[in-house]
Amino acid sequence: MMSDLKITAYQCKQCGRIHYPLHERCIDCLATKFEEVHPEGDAKLLTFTEIYNLPWGFDVRTLKIGVVEFANKVRAMGQIHVDDFSKLKTGMKLKAYWEPVRNTDEGEVFGLVLKE
Amino acid sequence: MREVAIIGVGMIPFGRRDEDTLLDMLAEASMRALKDAGMEKKGVDAVYVANMGAGILQHQTSVASALVDRLSLMPAAADAVENGPASGASAIKNGVLAIASGYYDFVLVAGGEKMREVVGWKATDFVSTMTHPEVEYPYGVTLPGMAGMFTRLYMEKYGLTRDQLMDVAIKNQKMGALNPYAHVEMLITKEGIAESPDAVVNNPMAADPLHLYDMCPVSDGAAAVVLCPLELAQKATEKPPVVVAGFGQATDTHTLQERDDPTDLKAVTLAAEQAFTMAKMEPKDIDLAELHDAFTILEIAESEHAGFFKKGKGGIAVAKGETSLGGKLPINMSGGLKARGHPVGATGVAQVVDVVFQLRHELGDNRQVKNAKTGFTLNFGGFGNNVVAFVLRRAE
Amino acid sequence: MAVDMDLEAVLRAPAIDMPPYPAKMITLANGKKMVVRQAAINDVPTLLKAVKPTIEIDRDYYDIVGARLYAELLGWYKHRVRNEYCLVGQVDGYLVGIVNGRMVDHDIGMSYHTLAIDRGLRVGSHLFASKMEYHIEYLKQKEVWIVAESPIGFRRWMIEYGLIKQDGVQHELGGAGSYKLTEKLYFDSKPRLVTGTRPVPDKELRIAMAEIKVADETAIREKICGVKGR
Repeated sequence: MMSDLKITAYQCKQCGRIHYPLHERCIDCLATKFEEVHPEGDAKLLTFTEIYNLPWGFDVRTLKIGVVEFANKVRAMGQIHVDDFSKLKTGMKLKAYWEPVRNTDEGEVFGLVLKE
Repeated sequence: MREVAIIGVGMIPFGRRDEDTLLDMLAEASMRALKDAGMEKKGVDAVYVANMGAGILQHQTSVASALVDRLSLMPAAADAVENGPASGASAIKNGVLAIASGYYDFVLVAGGEKMREVVGWKATDFVSTMTHPEVEYPYGVTLPGMAGMFTRLYMEKYGLTRDQLMDVAIKNQKMGALNPYAHVEMLITKEGIAESPDAVVNNPMAADPLHLYDMCPVSDGAAAVVLCPLELAQKATEKPPVVVAGFGQATDTHTLQERDDPTDLKAVTLAAEQAFTMAKMEPKDIDLAELHDAFTILEIAESEHAGFFKKGKGGIAVAKGETSLGGKLPINMSGGLKARGHPVGATGVAQVVDVVFQLRHELGDNRQVKNAKTGFTLNFGGFGNNVVAFVLRRAE
Repeated sequence: MAVDMDLEAVLRAPAIDMPPYPAKMITLANGKKMVVRQAAINDVPTLLKAVKPTIEIDRDYYDIVGARLYAELLGWYKHRVRNEYCLVGQVDGYLVGIVNGRMVDHDIGMSYHTLAIDRGLRVGSHLFASKMEYHIEYLKQKEVWIVAESPIGFRRWMIEYGLIKQDGVQHELGGAGSYKLTEKLYFDSKPRLVTGTRPVPDKELRIAMAEIKVADETAIREKICGVKGR
């Protein structure tokens, strides 16, 4: 469910620009008051890649990573969990989940996971 | 403000330097620069040391203080400068400001990095610490991954082709093979990296759509420069001083996702504009450039955003040979980060060192840009969120 | 030294049928052509000249790989190892890499070592792939057992091929638990990891077969450690 996505974006109360991650001041107008917003609607794939040389701490051979924009203009990076990379196209819609994205010594880390 | 000149440069060959510590490398490059400046037995007023990773990779901090001690430069002021991959140029900028302000006269700037101390996965993780700690890093995104996503958008927007990216790789490796300081001294061919069926193994995908040969190597190395006011330069050394005619620095959003147009490298454009304005020059006045080609896409994108080519035309320029030796604007005659190597903290300093070699006309015919009088460097921090540019000119 | 063939009959390993490896040619990243072919047992003294300098190279585990490979090749030469083979990579006749292994039986292959003399060109990757090709496609074996001594090897083989870890199963070389390449894994990986064209053009084959040229010790050391020691 969208409400399970633990992504809090910040919409400037003055000019309406959406920020994610947190900024102390609006990027556009420098106002300091924000309203919390959460991703809503479809996740449109803006760009993506498949990474083959991974950083320490991942047991998989490759990672598919993308940046999506939700219908309410919240943008976020996430891991793409699809089998066939060739099916991915910029502009396509993906479903968003909040699932484990890596394992650390302190346990699983959850994040945005995108699927077909 | 006083004009600032570079009167000494030094560099050590980049590559894998198992036998050297970080301090060994910084010290050797510094001594070469001091000797080049005729200051082997003299002190300096201040030392700036560019380094990104000593705290993580070598478990060492306060490298500037350590270098001062190693070089017996006490009681010089000393600061370490960390600006990711733009640490080198940032450190030089600080040195320039210190002299231009009138506060210091002789400044040593050294940059170094020892990235091969750890296995590849850990070096990749170290570089990834530049990404946003909450909204990017946890996903395992790497700088090549950021470059891959950027390249996809750039290709879609401007029609940039894989061939054009390979032209950058082939050009830079060709120049690296001629550079005694380069990490990678190996010619590559289009047949070997793309056209032959064996290319799938020779040049595997690294961060789609970028391949192995679109990436710079992981390197150890160090470089250094000595700066002083131009008015003292001619007295200090017989070599033709190189003037820092202009510099610029600009930042952009930390994350790619917050840029209105992620293909727009605003910080590159702004930093370049500032440098040209200060130098009272335009891109067309530049004889050669050292750009930050950690990935082949960046050489093309930076050449456009810095104003040398129109947006979308940089790849065509490479393909036509305009950025090769003898072309309209030779770019990365050192081999660039692609072949010279990218010890992160050293790179921005090395770029300036390479331009100084050119402007002093010290290189052989196979790399020297004829009658070079002006040069441009661009040091790209993070993924374009902190960029430093220099315009350099040969003092007449 | 005179060899008593009656004693040899006792001391030699009984061989099983082993089809030859057909040579192939690979274009490297620098445009040069590498011929991958099977070495003959009589090539061993030449190969040992190339391997010997590596025994003293500490970098990247060349010393342990070199020392073990030297012993394996000698063991093969003296007929003390069952069904050992050796494939070599040559560019313009010069030796650029060596791989070896053996048949344990008709079904199981044991991968021994991979030594790249020319570095930075994926010679090791190509030669490792060639020996996997030999085991699965020509020797018709069902699986190959593999261990890695270095992080580079681990990355290129265990991770790249997605090898299956065999808990509690020791490889002949001992060390960490062994991994295996199955037929399925091989054919799944083949499109992106196993390349080369056959037949080898006459000219390149003639040069490769005429002689295995070996660079001198200094050149070998420079190729492995880099000219500037880097």
